[in-house]
Amino acid sequence: MDILKQLRQRMDQFEVVHLRNESTKVSFESNRLKTSQVEETKGIAVRVVKQGRLGFAASSDASATEQLVKNAIESAMYGDQVPITFPEAQHAPTVKTFDPTITELPIPRMVEIGKEIVDYILQIEPEARVNVSLKRGIQQVALHNQTGNEASYQSSPLSISVSVNKIQGDDILFVGDFTGTTVWQEDYLAGTRRLSEKLKLARRLTAMSSGNLPVLFSPNGLLMLGVPLQQGLSGKSVFTGISPLKGKLGEKLFSDKLSVIDDGTIDGKFGSAPYDDEGVPHRRNALIENGVLKNFYYDLKTAAQSGVASTGNGSRTLFAPPGPAPTNLIIGAGGTPLADILTGINEGVLVEDVLGLGQGNTISGAFSNPLSLAFKIEKGEIVGRVKNVSLAGNIYTLLKNIAAVSRETEWVHGNLNLPYLWLPEMNVIAKAD
Amino acid sequence: MQEKIRAALKSSKADYTEIRLEERESATVVYRGKNLDTASAVIDAGGIVRCLCRDGGWGIATFNDRDDLIAKVEQAYQCAKVAHSDEPIELAPVPVGEERIAANLQRDFRDISLADKKTLAEGYNNILLKHSDKIVSTNCLYFDSFSHITFANSEGTFIEEERPLVTVVMAAIARDGNNVQTAHESRSGQAGFEFVMGREEQARIAAQRAVDLLRAESVVGGQYPVVVDQELAGVFIHEAFGHLSEADFVYENPKAREMMVLGRRFGQDILNVYDDGALPGLRGTHKYDDEGMPTGRAYLIKDGILVGRLHSRQTAAKMGEQPTGNARAISYRFPPIVRMTNTAIEQGTTSFEDMIKDIKLGVYACGAYGGQTELENFSFSSAYAYMIRDGKIAEMVKDVILAGNLFTTLLNIDAIGNDFQWMHRGGGCGKGAQYPLPVTFGAPHIRIQNVVIGGKKEK
Repeated sequence: MDILKQLRQRMDQFEVVHLRNESTKVSFESNRLKTSQVEETKGIAVRVVKQGRLGFAASSDASATEQLVKNAIESAMYGDQVPITFPEAQHAPTVKTFDPTITELPIPRMVEIGKEIVDYILQIEPEARVNVSLKRGIQQVALHNQTGNEASYQSSPLSISVSVNKIQGDDILFVGDFTGTTVWQEDYLAGTRRLSEKLKLARRLTAMSSGNLPVLFSPNGLLMLGVPLQQGLSGKSVFTGISPLKGKLGEKLFSDKLSVIDDGTIDGKFGSAPYDDEGVPHRRNALIENGVLKNFYYDLKTAAQSGVASTGNGSRTLFAPPGPAPTNLIIGAGGTPLADILTGINEGVLVEDVLGLGQGNTISGAFSNPLSLAFKIEKGEIVGRVKNVSLAGNIYTLLKNIAAVSRETEWVHGNLNLPYLWLPEMNVIAKAD
Repeated sequence: MQEKIRAALKSSKADYTEIRLEERESATVVYRGKNLDTASAVIDAGGIVRCLCRDGGWGIATFNDRDDLIAKVEQAYQCAKVAHSDEPIELAPVPVGEERIAANLQRDFRDISLADKKTLAEGYNNILLKHSDKIVSTNCLYFDSFSHITFANSEGTFIEEERPLVTVVMAAIARDGNNVQTAHESRSGQAGFEFVMGREEQARIAAQRAVDLLRAESVVGGQYPVVVDQELAGVFIHEAFGHLSEADFVYENPKAREMMVLGRRFGQDILNVYDDGALPGLRGTHKYDDEGMPTGRAYLIKDGILVGRLHSRQTAAKMGEQPTGNARAISYRFPPIVRMTNTAIEQGTTSFEDMIKDIKLGVYACGAYGGQTELENFSFSSAYAYMIRDGKIAEMVKDVILAGNLFTTLLNIDAIGNDFQWMHRGGGCGKGAQYPLPVTFGAPHIRIQNVVIGGKKEK
């Protein structure tokens, strides 16, 4: 490889990553197949170290290799001094990321599955408008660095995203679902059933008034608390001094019902692979254990800056240098069956989806979101959908006191495994017209 | 390349075919705290072919390898044949034209060295860092990108356009114990390097605001009359109304068409809203959209009444309306979809003093973190805010995030200011997987009654 030779002669360390993606997508819009699409993406990302300075460049133009090398070297001339070392080959776990059943799924079969999903939903809600997109692909990643480390693997992501809207007068209901896997799942309608249950529950509109009430977060609704927590646990937020969790390793900061794990070694999940995007093996990493802060997640650079080892959380897209990101983030299941949690709530809110996720000063732990899909719980029963309700708070206070965490968990967005979580009391603001 | 593109279009068996090729060079400098995060340049080149079979559907091929365009056209055509449509898909007619549009930059940032870009960002970063010992970190970004886009279709249109964009973002993060607050300022435009020079005052404003927010209390949740500054009013109209006026939401949904019927009242007589992709000097401006349709002004609300919506060729044909030049794509990886360009609430007559003078207890919400729309409901997040007490601006409050509803919130706008401004901010709009698309917001101060704001309980 010409580019490796050039870099070996001129740089102290280097890392070259070749990415190649091919994907096929069929999209249904308003109940009908509308668009089919094939995508081919390839590109090269380069990092180099010269006299302790780190540089980065990337290109998707195969004819621009010379400019790519020039850009990487120029970047290193001005780059930051970082004690980074691109790693030697290390033993990596066996993780299933590839399934020929997915890559060989014929387009007509994808269309059939899409139709099946549309029909399933229309049977339940004939008035609904259903959008479905199915996308299958092959992704190949090949990393080489100056140590001779050659970390490469391929994956076969399949995603099914479904969104449904139903309009009655001036009421617009919107419900969405996303499932992602790299290993074929025979029960491809699981997400559709989950969505349909929400559609049924949403038929009845009910009112609620403001007050201090118990709040139950569904796995998808729990992202409201998960997003600020994920930011706080990032090694980068800790290194830059902006995470409220900085300097608190080993302290009990949360309810002992809260455990958070990052695990990139689970077969078939979107965050899974033998290695991270810097050639460091993936592993299971406990971040919070029974309320005690155990660890943060790091990429190579942030780890080097912080004087610790990478946790295998280097994550990148083609056009940006790697940074730390969770692989598969798991909030540990609790001991209470969901049915028992519901029984325990006399009057409360079930949060399914929110607006403006991640907006605001989330690094401080603060969140404030209007609820886009929420239900009222009355005497242990979900009695109807509520509109114009907002929730706000700070996770670092709220998560000290958790009433229960459900035994049941669900995978959402392809790489998050989350339970139902019950907070005993929050200030619920409902619009009174 | 022109000959190759024309030959590929000629080879197509589809009813309509378009090819869009893009070459983009961009440079990024990021400081986080004292550390340089990155100073780098990237090259992105690729293309998209889109074919329409009237009795089938759309077929799309995207790629980096631009050598064999005829093969890509065939691939897209095969995709278009997968679907079957009983009702033929039509495209509204647009003028056929040939044009080359060159960017006209005072100081072309492609001629500025990475070292000089780094120096600029470092200067702003130092202002942020040195402003106060409470500033523990920063996120200071310089970004430029220069795209050369070639668009051609089987109707004979052939347009080449250069699209420059330069941005600085200055964010300061202040900390006092467990209390962490951030504040940011940005400036972005289709302009040269000069556009982002001399912004030291913005850096000082961001740093001071982050420090001020450390002393601010969280807002008490409830319903308030809210006065919104120009920046947040722009985000508000984009989220509150702009997205629902994008015709791809209504064109195949009879119930949505009923709901969004032209002539329906959405606001009081004082409310006028438009989208205009042809205004010089704004981020959402291009002479043509990504279907080759010339851009222009589309009024959405006039005197409180819905009078128009934003279209692509397909949505316009289906609804029997005129295309508006709002089919946009963020890059060659995506087909164009209906998007806003530069969206504005028109100038009103109320002075800021008159707007607040009768408010006993309210909120003055300023700046923007962003917003999100999910059909009728939307959120818009202020960056900082103040309480209004007895007609006067009182103490600063934080975490003010506003909830809205299409059918009630717009009608609750009861005053529109006489201080209209276009905001040259960074960031962008996201729809589907397409983010960030450069757009601009413009508005005067506005007052909205009965806004729900989430927050803590009154002590």
